[in-house]
Amino acid sequence: MKNQWLDVISGVVRVKVMGKGIERFLNQLTRSGIRVWNVKRHGTEAVTFQIKLVDVKKIRVPARSSKCSIRFIERAGGPFFLRKLWTNSGFLFGAAAFFIILMFLSNMVWGIEIKGASPATEHQIRKELTKMGVKIGKLQFMMDNVDAIQRDLTDNVKALTWVGVELKGTTYHFQVVEKEEPDKPKVYGPQNLVSTKKALIVKMFVEEGEQVVQLNDYVQPGQLLVSGLIGKEEEKQPVPARGEILGETWYKSRVELPLQTTFQVFNGNEKRKFYFKIAGKMIPFWGFGKHQFKEYETESSDHSLKLLKWELPVTIVNETIREKEEVSRTYNKDEAIKSAKDLARKDIKNRIPEDAIIKGEEILHQSIKNGKVRLSIHFQIIEDIAKAQPIIQGDEDDRRLKNDGNSTSKPR
Amino acid sequence: MAKKWSQLIRNWMTQKMDLPPDVMMDLPRITMIGHIHIYIENHRGLLAFSDKELRLLLKQGQLLVKGKAFVIKTILPEEILLEGKIDQVIYINE
Repeated sequence: MKNQWLDVISGVVRVKVMGKGIERFLNQLTRSGIRVWNVKRHGTEAVTFQIKLVDVKKIRVPARSSKCSIRFIERAGGPFFLRKLWTNSGFLFGAAAFFIILMFLSNMVWGIEIKGASPATEHQIRKELTKMGVKIGKLQFMMDNVDAIQRDLTDNVKALTWVGVELKGTTYHFQVVEKEEPDKPKVYGPQNLVSTKKALIVKMFVEEGEQVVQLNDYVQPGQLLVSGLIGKEEEKQPVPARGEILGETWYKSRVELPLQTTFQVFNGNEKRKFYFKIAGKMIPFWGFGKHQFKEYETESSDHSLKLLKWELPVTIVNETIREKEEVSRTYNKDEAIKSAKDLARKDIKNRIPEDAIIKGEEILHQSIKNGKVRLSIHFQIIEDIAKAQPIIQGDEDDRRLKNDGNSTSKPR
Repeated sequence: MAKKWSQLIRNWMTQKMDLPPDVMMDLPRITMIGHIHIYIENHRGLLAFSDKELRLLLKQGQLLVKGKAFVIKTILPEEILLEGKIDQVIYINE
């Protein structure tokens, strides 16, 4: 038997023959060189078989001489398939469009991932990439190749030592190594250290310069603590005086605290409502019904809807109504004093530098009057009192005068 | 008479010279594969065909194939391939 695939490609027709003398007709066909296959009997007077499409014309002559009626009932194979394809070309176009879109989308940049960069550098890299045209939503063949991107980045972003650029599918991965620039050592000009506050010196640590005051000295604000001029009397060298001078300073804090206070607090009951806001009109779509709150506060936030990059003229308003409640707090005497002290301590901590220590506290005055506690507390604090004061070069006498002037007294 | 003589000579030659009888004597060569295929060469035309019966004209007499669900897979001037469930193959000699 011959391979019938060739016949299928060139087209196959199924023929139905009805009438008498079908066998004779078949013999005639085979003798005239027409290939016939799949002959099947249907009842007494009908036979179906398949022939090639090219043989359809040859069948006419024997058909006319026989007494059979012939009908073509099924067409299959190449030419018929093509015609069907044409009538259903929508599918074909759909398939083509699918592949085109797939190609298009898979050639787009869908993500840019930057690893190992500090936020500042990452921002810089992103800006540089945008300038180069590497952006989410751009086509890959519209921009430079990976090597060029890498070169551009290392050239244009100063903070980079090396950047690895890798394109994995639709995502660019950037592996960043940043330059680590060492901190520049601080350069000090010649300076003195002077006191900032009225204080008693409790500890001194002088790194550079000549110590002028002693431990347990009582200093005024502006008084010279460490001199930046060292050396012999006549040939003094200006140096940057540095050091830590801890002094005991004194603060006073006055606190007033009512014994009874009322607060407005939220008790946790809330109701949420959502509205569509179209052209200034509010259309509720979630959270109907009125609330039963006596005291309440309303908070609302707007979100505008977006479609791709356009903003729609519709905003969603999210409204939250929270119930409020009044709570009163009553202190007895001891509690009141205790919390007043806490308050005073907090107040002091706001006024002194962070590294200062509260050494001691003393209640100077305490009274309860008209439902209020009044407290005045004296604090002893240990803090750094030194402040740099630059030495102006050139006019030494002037400077000395100025220093002397500072050291006397400066009203605080 | 001459035909009969030639027949006799052919018969004798095939026997004595060990030649294939289908070539020498124009007999049908029938190949069967189980009872599902039957392949007949050297037939002289289709006489009757239905899904239960196939009647072929031979040079001498007829061949009758009986069975079920017959389909002629291929038919050529001298060959035929029949498919189906074959029950009987019968020679009819006048």
